[in-house]
Amino acid sequence: MPSADAQARPWVARARAALDALEHIVNGLGTSVLALVTLVLLIPVTALCLIGVGLPLAPLLVRMVHTVADRERARLTRWGPDVISPGPPPARLADALRHRGTQREIAWVALHAIAGFALGALGLTIALDTVRDGLFPLYWYLLPDGEAVPSLGLWVVHDVPGAFAVALLGVGWVFVSVALLPGMARLQALPGRRLLQPGPDTDLALRIAHLTATRAAALDAHTTELRRIERSLHDGTQNRLVGVNVLLGAARRALTRDVAEADAILGRAQDAAESALADLRAVVRSILPPVLAEGSLVGALTTLAANCPVETRIDADLPGRYASSVEASVYFIVAEGLTNIAKHSGAEHALVTLARREDLLRVEIADDGRGGAAEHGGTGLGGIRRRVEAHDGTFTLASPAGGPTTLMVSLPCGL
Amino acid sequence: MRIVIAEDDPLLREGVALLLRAEGLDVVATTDNPDDFLLAVDEHKPDVAIVDVRMPPTHTGEGIVAAVDARRRRPDLAVLVLSAYVEQAFATDLLASGSSRLGYLLKERVGRVTEFLDALRRVAGGGTAIDPEVVAQLLSRTRSDDRLDRLSPRERDVLALMAEGLGNGAIAERLVVTDGAVHKHIRNIFAKLDLAPDDSADRRVTAVLRYLENGRATPGRA
Repeated sequence: MPSADAQARPWVARARAALDALEHIVNGLGTSVLALVTLVLLIPVTALCLIGVGLPLAPLLVRMVHTVADRERARLTRWGPDVISPGPPPARLADALRHRGTQREIAWVALHAIAGFALGALGLTIALDTVRDGLFPLYWYLLPDGEAVPSLGLWVVHDVPGAFAVALLGVGWVFVSVALLPGMARLQALPGRRLLQPGPDTDLALRIAHLTATRAAALDAHTTELRRIERSLHDGTQNRLVGVNVLLGAARRALTRDVAEADAILGRAQDAAESALADLRAVVRSILPPVLAEGSLVGALTTLAANCPVETRIDADLPGRYASSVEASVYFIVAEGLTNIAKHSGAEHALVTLARREDLLRVEIADDGRGGAAEHGGTGLGGIRRRVEAHDGTFTLASPAGGPTTLMVSLPCGL
Repeated sequence: MRIVIAEDDPLLREGVALLLRAEGLDVVATTDNPDDFLLAVDEHKPDVAIVDVRMPPTHTGEGIVAAVDARRRRPDLAVLVLSAYVEQAFATDLLASGSSRLGYLLKERVGRVTEFLDALRRVAGGGTAIDPEVVAQLLSRTRSDDRLDRLSPRERDVLALMAEGLGNGAIAERLVVTDGAVHKHIRNIFAKLDLAPDDSADRRVTAVLRYLENGRATPGRA
C-alpha cells in the first residue's frame, strides 16, 4: 500500500510493486503447474469416461480440481479481496458436473494451466534476464569464448565495453519489469478472481455461516467467562464469608461460656474475612485489570514484564488506545503467556512484540526455552485460544521440542 | 448425637465442627468428598449427616446424590443438607421420598447458632427443617393461587413456619401466641386450602410443600 514516503519517491513504490508482482507471478506459476498437471490428467480421463472405463476416476479428479482451485483461492486471498471457498463439490458425479461452481473450477483449471503458466514463465524469464544482463560485467569473462551471449542471444560479447553494453540492456530489462510485471500479475490472477468467486447467493450463505459461528464463539466465551467468575466467587469469596458467619455465631455462643475461647474463635473469623477479601480482589482483577483502567496497555504490559521472573522485553509500537475488551484480552494473553514461560519453559529471555497492521493488533510472545508447549497440557493456552476466538482473531503456536517457543495472536482491533 | 460432616471447603468444615463440639455434640468424622462420606457413614453409624450440596469432582449435585445413597443404606439416618443458595430442584429431589428426618438449610443459617441447633435436633428427632428462604420462594411463586389469598396474614405466617417444619409448640413460641391459638390457625389453613388435617409435623410439611409446589390440594394423600 502506498505510504507518504513512497508517494514522495514514486520510483521506490514502482520498484516495490514490481517486486511484489514478481512474488505473485512466481506463486501463480506454482498453482498453474498444479493446474497443468490436473489438466493433463483431465483430458485422458474424460476420454476414458466417454467409453465408460474412466468413470471411477472421475470423482477423484473433480476433488483434485477443487483442491487446486482452493490453493489458488488461498493465494488470491493473501494479496487482495477474500476469495471464499464454496466448500467441496457435490458427492455424486452427475450432481458435480451439473454444479455451476464445479464447471467454473474446471474452466479455470484449463485457463490457468495455459495462460497462467505462460504468464508465469514469461514473468520469471523477464526477471531472470534482468538479473543476468544487469550483472553481466561481473561474470562474462568466466564464460567460454564465444558463449558470452546476453539474453535473447542478440550478439556475442568479446570485450569489456561489450559487457557493459549488456549491462545497459539489463537496465532496459529493469524498466520492462517495472512496466510489465504488475499488469502481468493482475492478468494471471484474473481468471481466478472471475471464476473461483462463489456465486452471489453462495457467498451470502457462507458469510452468514461464518458470522453465526464467530458470534456463537463470542457468546460461548462470554458464558465461559461468566461461569469462571461465578465459580471463583462461589468457591472463594462466598465460602469464606459463610465460614466467617459460622465462626461469628460460634464466638457469640462461646462468649457466655469462656471469653478466651470466644477470642480465639474471633481471631479465626478475622483471618477468614481477610482471605475472603483477598479472594474478592483476585476475582475483580481478573475481570478488568485495574492497571488498564488507570494507565495505558503498554504501561500495564511493562509492569507485567517487570514482575516476570524471566527477563522479558516489551517491544511495542501501539499508539493510542483500543477497545477495553481488546486491551483486557491482550493483557490476559500476555499475562498467561508470561506465566507459562516462567512456569514451564526454563527460558532465560522472553520477548513480547506488539504491532498494529491495518485493523489487526498482532501480539507475539517468544522465549528461548525448551519448547514442547502443547495446548492440552493444562497450560492456559486453551484459555488464550478461547479468548482470541471470541474476538474473531487467530492464534498460532510454534513450539518444537528443544525450543524456541513462539506464540502469535492477531486480534481485530476495529480501528 | 453422633454427627458426620461432608463439606469440601476446609474453613466451613472445621468451623461447623468447632461450633458443634463447643455445644457438646459428638462430631465423629469430617470428610471432604462423597466417597469418604459414605465410608464414614458405614464405619461410624452416625445419627445425623450434615452434607454440602456441591462437592467434588464436578461441584454440582454430588452431595444430594451421596445423601440419597446414605439414606438408602441406613434408612433411619437423619440428613441435613447445606447449600450455598436455594437450588429448588435439589430440595425437591430430596423431599420426593418424604420429609421425615430431612433438612435443607442455606449455609448462612449456620451462623444463627440457636436456630441451626434447633433444626439439627428437629431433623435428628424425626422431623423436618426447611430453610425459610425456600418456603418464601414457594409462597411467592404460588401467589396467583386465590386460595392462598383467603388466608389471613397471621395464618400465612403460621403456614410458612409449618412449611419450615416447625411443630405447634415452636410455632407458638415464634409468634408469641398460645398453643391453642396455633392449633386453631392450622385447622383454618387446612380447611381453606382443602387439605386433610394432620397433626404429625412431617406429614404436614409434605402436604404443605406439595401444595405450594403444585398450587393445588391433594386431599387424602397428605
